[in-house]
Amino acid sequence: MSERRGSIRRQMLLMTSMVLVVVGGAALWSAHLYADRAARLSYDRLLRGAALQISENIHMLDGRVVADLPASAFDMLAMAPRDRAFYAIIDSGKRIVTGYADLPSVPFDTLLEARDREGQFQPTLYDVDYRGEMVRFLGVAKRLIEADNAETVYIVVGQTLKARKALADEVGWFVLQFVALFFVLTLALLMLGIWRVLRPLNRLQHAIAERSPTDLQPLGNDVPREIAPLLDTLNYFMAQLQISLDQLKRFTAEAAHQIRTPLAGLHSQAQNALDEPDPEIRQRQLSHVLECSESLTRTVNQLLQHANLTHRFQSQPRVKVSLRQIATEVCRSLVIWGLDRGVELVYEGDEDVSVTGDAFALEQMIRNLVENAVKYSPAGSLVTLRLTEVGAGAELEVSDQGPGISDEEKPRVFERFYRSRNIDQPGSGLGLSIAREVAQYHGAELELHDNQPQGLVVRVRFNGEAIH
Amino acid sequence: MKALTSLLLGLCLAAIGGVQAATTEVFKRANVDAPPDLIISGVAPVARFAPFLQTFAEREGLVVSYTERMSNELVPVTFDADADTDDEIPSPDLILSSAMEQQLKLVNDGYAQPYRSDVIRELPEWAQWRDELFAYAFEPIVMVINRDLLAGAELPQSRDQLLQLIRAKGPLVDGKIGMTDIETVGLGYLTWAHDSRQSRTYGQLLETFGNAHLRLYPDSESVLQALLKGEIFIAYNLVGSYAFDFSNRYPWITTVMPADYTSVLMRTALIPKSAQHPEAARRFLDDLLSTSGQARLGEQTGLIPVISEAGSSDTFAFLREKSHGIFRPIPLSLQLLLQTDAEKRRLLLNEWRAAVYPQQKPATDSAP
Repeated sequence: MSERRGSIRRQMLLMTSMVLVVVGGAALWSAHLYADRAARLSYDRLLRGAALQISENIHMLDGRVVADLPASAFDMLAMAPRDRAFYAIIDSGKRIVTGYADLPSVPFDTLLEARDREGQFQPTLYDVDYRGEMVRFLGVAKRLIEADNAETVYIVVGQTLKARKALADEVGWFVLQFVALFFVLTLALLMLGIWRVLRPLNRLQHAIAERSPTDLQPLGNDVPREIAPLLDTLNYFMAQLQISLDQLKRFTAEAAHQIRTPLAGLHSQAQNALDEPDPEIRQRQLSHVLECSESLTRTVNQLLQHANLTHRFQSQPRVKVSLRQIATEVCRSLVIWGLDRGVELVYEGDEDVSVTGDAFALEQMIRNLVENAVKYSPAGSLVTLRLTEVGAGAELEVSDQGPGISDEEKPRVFERFYRSRNIDQPGSGLGLSIAREVAQYHGAELELHDNQPQGLVVRVRFNGEAIH
Repeated sequence: MKALTSLLLGLCLAAIGGVQAATTEVFKRANVDAPPDLIISGVAPVARFAPFLQTFAEREGLVVSYTERMSNELVPVTFDADADTDDEIPSPDLILSSAMEQQLKLVNDGYAQPYRSDVIRELPEWAQWRDELFAYAFEPIVMVINRDLLAGAELPQSRDQLLQLIRAKGPLVDGKIGMTDIETVGLGYLTWAHDSRQSRTYGQLLETFGNAHLRLYPDSESVLQALLKGEIFIAYNLVGSYAFDFSNRYPWITTVMPADYTSVLMRTALIPKSAQHPEAARRFLDDLLSTSGQARLGEQTGLIPVISEAGSSDTFAFLREKSHGIFRPIPLSLQLLLQTDAEKRRLLLNEWRAAVYPQQKPATDSAP
């Protein structure tokens, strides 16, 4: 679990570092190319300068090529202070006028062909290994004219590559330093930025951690837009929790009251029965004790049922259940009990309607409704359970022919432990309340209607979403 | 390649022996008898280097041989290939020479091997090239004058004054001016070529020297000897260390560092690729270029060390007292390559011969 929980900060750092590395690498590479090029150009210029100076000092004198090499040409070559230099002046017969006689691969033909538009000879550059080292050579031809004589000479000047490499390395090293500095600075700024961006999350975490477990006030909304939905959800969740807590508190108080009262009654009845000398009266008192304990048992059962349902709602996944199957099963299990009381139980409805929800809860709801109906029905009357499809939804109706509920009492019967005063049937006052909770859990509405000519119709209307 | 190089160098150095008998001396501890561990070829006279070499040989326990050669003989290797092979002198492990341009060309042509050590890292940048060529001594180029000539005239302090003196003395100095022969002495050619670049007086010098029937000698020592014998009164472009020594011994002979400018060249050392004992050569280099070695060099040879802290000799003190403005050092750099150019040499020697041997025709071949 904790291995899969990645750190946003680490991910952001990782990604920015990767981007920086890529950018830095690209910068270094291009700087390397640029430095090489710049070094090559600069030192090629020196070669060219030296060659031109030498070229200007070559003349024909009495039919002979005279090369009076200028010191400045060598001064220029010496600007690459640690490089060896080679030169040669070669006449048209490829005889050496002066300089190194063994310069390799002099491209005589290329030199002759290398002319610009005006016919001037252009220098040609080439790299050759000479005397154990790589040498950059520049060759250029020159046409000499003296009276009747004309002669073409070739000037070749070459230099080893130390200075070029040193310059390129120097530029490269400078860029490397710059990139490294840039990398460190950018990373530091990014870390600062990431820290700032993530700070509201930290604050939120601290705010929650420092809270007492019972404090469910909404958290302050001082967070960035991106985190606001999270905060809203948190606040909504806490509000829900608060409601649940309040409900639980109220329920506990009511339940305590509901249990304490019959217990006190039981206690005094039992005390009275103990003190009663008359066996007949004692008999009556004892049967009263029995009634009271039955009532208490029912109350406790329903409280447990309620608690059980509440727990199920929070823990059980919703599944597809058949309303028809549940309803017929409830009818089947209660039909004997109804007949004992002289009440006939009828199921109507052919369609099979399914909802997603909790089968157990639905069964409890239907059972409560049917039991209520049977309980309040006079002997010889009929209780009808009807399942019908209505549009996209469905309706489940339980109708009886009992006394019904007056309109002013109708909203109150859903309150927990509410008991109608003009009813003498034993009950906990939880049945309808539980039924409504189950209905609400399934997105259904529970309505009370009057039956004709008398009686009550309890209608559970499942809306379309619940239906399959 | 390397083998060929060493063969070439060996052959050419061997060829030198045929031209002139080389003086070889061996330095070692008294009781040792063994073939040399270090073979040095040098231009400086054996006698001058002897104490320094003896100290080194004894301290290191090595047998050191030193062969004295003409500077032009040291390195004809790269200049002409018509070498005889009748002399089998082993190729040197170290070459010490004042002919900077020849040394530089050897390095440029790839005959030297690089060496780097703590001692060499301490050398100033201008005192070495490519870690292959190392300067170990300064050499101011001076003129030396026999005071007897002056007869009341002022001692010339510059080339201009020298020219005036020569003109003033007229026939008195005819045939009485001496130089090393720049056609055979490398140092003579180098300094003369340097003059040709530096001085507006170069043309007048050439002309005046020619008119005065300049006498030519095969090396600095013989010029000084001629001065001593009265054969000549004025010597031009001599190495300062010898001249100062000489004028210290013979007070009527004065050494002058020309005030218009004094050329300064560097004596350099290199280890050829063909060295048989490169390790010994490196030890010698480290000793020669260390502060203590430089100080010893100053004391034992009278040469002027390149490391200023090491300078203790009189000549060096004298050199330092002089305003630095007059010194025109010949830089240890590629510029020297020009002085090795055959065409350049031919042109310069043509001028030279035209002035010095007016009755002869100028040389037409490019060979020196």
